[in-house]
Amino acid sequence: MTHQTHAYHMVNPSPWPLTGALSAFLLTSGLIMWFHFYYTLLLIAGLLASTMTMFQWWRDVVREGTYQGHHTAPVQKGLRYGMVLFIISEVFFFAGFFWAFYHSSLAPTPQTGGQWPPTGILPLDPMEVPLLNTAVLLASGVTITWAHHSLMEADRKESTQALLMTIALGTYFTYLQLSEYSETSFTISDGIYGSTFFMSTGFHGLHVIIGTTFLTTCYFRQQLYHFTSNHHFGFEAAAWYWHFVDVVWLFLYISIYWWGS
Amino acid sequence: MALSLRPLSRGLASAAKEGHGGTGARTWRLLTFVLALPSVALCTLNAYLHSGHRPRPEFIAYPHLRIRTKRFPWGDGNHTLFHNSHVNPLPTGYESP
Repeated sequence: MTHQTHAYHMVNPSPWPLTGALSAFLLTSGLIMWFHFYYTLLLIAGLLASTMTMFQWWRDVVREGTYQGHHTAPVQKGLRYGMVLFIISEVFFFAGFFWAFYHSSLAPTPQTGGQWPPTGILPLDPMEVPLLNTAVLLASGVTITWAHHSLMEADRKESTQALLMTIALGTYFTYLQLSEYSETSFTISDGIYGSTFFMSTGFHGLHVIIGTTFLTTCYFRQQLYHFTSNHHFGFEAAAWYWHFVDVVWLFLYISIYWWGS
Repeated sequence: MALSLRPLSRGLASAAKEGHGGTGARTWRLLTFVLALPSVALCTLNAYLHSGHRPRPEFIAYPHLRIRTKRFPWGDGNHTLFHNSHVNPLPTGYESP
């Protein structure tokens, strides 16, 4: 008996869960040291350790799946469950920030002028750059669907083109949001309006950057012929994550930018 | 067994060929160039036309804005991360004329 007689993946021992846990500790304690004592070494070490952990862990997953053939149908099914559960957990993460926003905006306190937006706050016009941002993300949802179908129809040239357009649109969104952040007359320190606005849109922007990075990884893997027309779960996971980011934006746009203005 | 995720992997394409319902790659490419990208172009134009500097609001030292309970861990601790001195006043007022 020198080979397994089941279709599951018994993963070899790996140091990355440990380095991941250590980097999480460095990140959290690092943030505390930075916020309270203006000391950045722990935080930088944490960022470095977590980046290296992610790179090496996911590199190993690609090696196990694409090069060693461990991703059989039941294994892939487990990966699908995993990605869905992760995205659901992220939905709950954003739910907290939406809760904070609605808690404060539905019953504005006298301290902020008894109105929403609070007295002295000039909200952004939802029909200007925020509307453009909405069009950009919706368009990127269309282009990634085009990329997926092209991939399934084994059209290499078109799937690469569509994937690049999706990445470009994601980058355009990030650029637009950064310029908006520099131009708003209100800041994160402007009471509960500033706090809810920048925490919600800020974490969303971080997720756009993460999603764009995931898509870029897919682009490089595509160039290396990792995907086949019927086995490309890494691409599908990136596409699901990207759609999730788009949906969160739609909720942000309608709640904070439109209703909240 | 638990819920089947197989349908999720096929998305909107119930077949690789783009026959019935027209949900193949050709359809999404068409949607990209006829609907999605022109909308982005139009919204870009709209946002650009409506940009341009507005007169900045006068400074009133409201206690519920420009809160400084704890100094920021960068710079002089009094400026937000995306501070723009033309439109963002400090708790004491605008920095630049």
